[in-house]
Amino acid sequence: MATDHVSISTRVSSAARTTVEVLTSPSSERQREIRRIVSLCLPFTVLLLFSGVFPLTEMVRISFSESRLVTEGFTTEFYMTLVTDPYYRNVAFNTLWFAAATTVASIGVAVPVAHALEKYSLPAKSVILTVLSFPNSLPGIVAAFMIIILFGNTGVFTNAVAFISGQSSTDIAFSTGVLGLFFAYIYSMIPRALLLLRGTYAEVNTDAEEAARSLGATPLQTFRFVTLPQIKPGLIGACILVFRTGLAIFGTVLILKGLLVWTLQIDRELAQGFNIAQASAMATVWFVFVFGFTVLVLRYTTAEVSI
Amino acid sequence: MSEVSLDNVTKRFDSTVAVNDVSIDIDDGEVMGIVGPSGCGKTTALRLVAGFETVSEGTVRYDGEDVTHIPPENRNVGLVFQSYALFNNMTVLQNVTFGPKMHDVGKEERRDRACELLELLDIEELADRNPKTLSGGQQQRVGLARALAIEPHILLLDEPMTGLDAKLKQTLRQELGQLLDDLEVTTLYVTHDQEQAMSMCDRIAVMNDGHLEQIGTPSEIYEQPANEFVAGFIGTANLLEVTIEDEQVSFGFTELDAPGPQRVDGTATVMIRPDDVRVGEGPVSVEITNLFYQGEHIQATGLLPDGQKLTLRLDRSLGDVTTGDSLSIAFDPDDIHVIESTR
Repeated sequence: MATDHVSISTRVSSAARTTVEVLTSPSSERQREIRRIVSLCLPFTVLLLFSGVFPLTEMVRISFSESRLVTEGFTTEFYMTLVTDPYYRNVAFNTLWFAAATTVASIGVAVPVAHALEKYSLPAKSVILTVLSFPNSLPGIVAAFMIIILFGNTGVFTNAVAFISGQSSTDIAFSTGVLGLFFAYIYSMIPRALLLLRGTYAEVNTDAEEAARSLGATPLQTFRFVTLPQIKPGLIGACILVFRTGLAIFGTVLILKGLLVWTLQIDRELAQGFNIAQASAMATVWFVFVFGFTVLVLRYTTAEVSI
Repeated sequence: MSEVSLDNVTKRFDSTVAVNDVSIDIDDGEVMGIVGPSGCGKTTALRLVAGFETVSEGTVRYDGEDVTHIPPENRNVGLVFQSYALFNNMTVLQNVTFGPKMHDVGKEERRDRACELLELLDIEELADRNPKTLSGGQQQRVGLARALAIEPHILLLDEPMTGLDAKLKQTLRQELGQLLDDLEVTTLYVTHDQEQAMSMCDRIAVMNDGHLEQIGTPSEIYEQPANEFVAGFIGTANLLEVTIEDEQVSFGFTELDAPGPQRVDGTATVMIRPDDVRVGEGPVSVEITNLFYQGEHIQATGLLPDGQKLTLRLDRSLGDVTTGDSLSIAFDPDDIHVIESTR
């Protein structure tokens, strides 16, 4: 047993020495390649460890803690609450259906836009692309503010409809309802979907599309039988990306509050009574779900999620 | 099958004129080739026939009917691409039945038609394969079967053999030529390879810089090129400056009777093909400056007494010829062709 122990420690120290040697004085092209890879990935690895793995581990520990203020003991109470309490089940349901619905809507809008952008020469294309990609860098709070400006009690759209219909603007306004939140979500999600779909469209075999047209396929049939199968991996990638975005949106929902979703409830757990253990359990479930969902979908498709 | 014509067709892309006032009539069952250097407008002309480009001026007709503004899916053309353009999400059989399916042909009939074509092209065993797993030659046959499956008005072949190796190209060329003859399909064959066009097409249209330079049978194009461009593009040509006076062609170093009555009087250019120059006999001496071994023969460049260059084809029976040697040459009046146009 002692011999085994010595042997293992000897092997570990030998491996460590070899690694250090490879990194400090590589003697072959492969070793130089390893050193380059390590150098390139080192900053991100450090960041991942300190900003990702460490807090995540702490969060998981807190979620199993018996005490609400100190990390001690072990309990699954907070997870049980998430499973058994209808309130949390409802929040989960809201989160999932809303993310799914906005994903479908975003992809439904993004596919024809990507098609138009990549298939036709449009006037002022660079301006259109700037406008379309702009929401990518817009904070969720600003997006929410824009929805209020448009659909709030004194919003432009609200006032116009009130003027035409003669109804009260407060009856028409929907910025803080589910519909307002829906528009705010897809405003943020469409540009993300476009980002992936445009890249996919650029790789579509246009000769095959023309072949289909010459064989008698209408543009719609060409899309269905030839283009769609080619963009499918990008489409799935866009769905994953957009759905995950839908699950993660917080700033917008914090302002508009149209629907109680998971991220907003995490905020409430912390803001109202500092229930950090429950918030940690919710965050852990969120992380595991998103991670598992992504792994599962990617396992059965060739899609790549670039963001 | 049908007659297809381009009547004074022009295609502009902004300020660039890709096809300039081109008229081509393709007879029923004829194989028409369009040849020319890269960027001459030959693929644009094919795309105008297919309907993938809109005509700026002029008319495209199938059997006399104006189809200029009819979309590609309603033109019934079979298109074969250089890139094969097969549907990789379908099997070979599905690729071939795709066209008939779009034309609402019944399932049994389209399957029978596809199987018949696959058998004709000797690829019936590939029916259930994915196109991605096939060789270039096999993919091109699938592309051809797919295009023929709709029984098109016209078969459009866009550089279909570019990218294939030389041996396969030769085999496929013979097979395709035979197939087009057998099926009597009206065909427009676009290629930059003049040898392919010469061996496969009934007539050839030579294009340059958007213009149609000449249209004629392969022998007309080869033996009586309309201008220096056609003479230089089709085969190897010796273009020599001469003076024509009183039906006599003066080369400066020798004189010949003109080949028939001439419209040109004064300075002109004549074309002599290297294989029409008799080497080893005759009154003119050339100094050999370059030799290129080409297997079946040797191509040589010689300097004429007046300093003009002449390309010769040397038979290997001449024995060892080296640069610097002098060879005597001769050519007959019937072998020279006076170029009347300078274009």
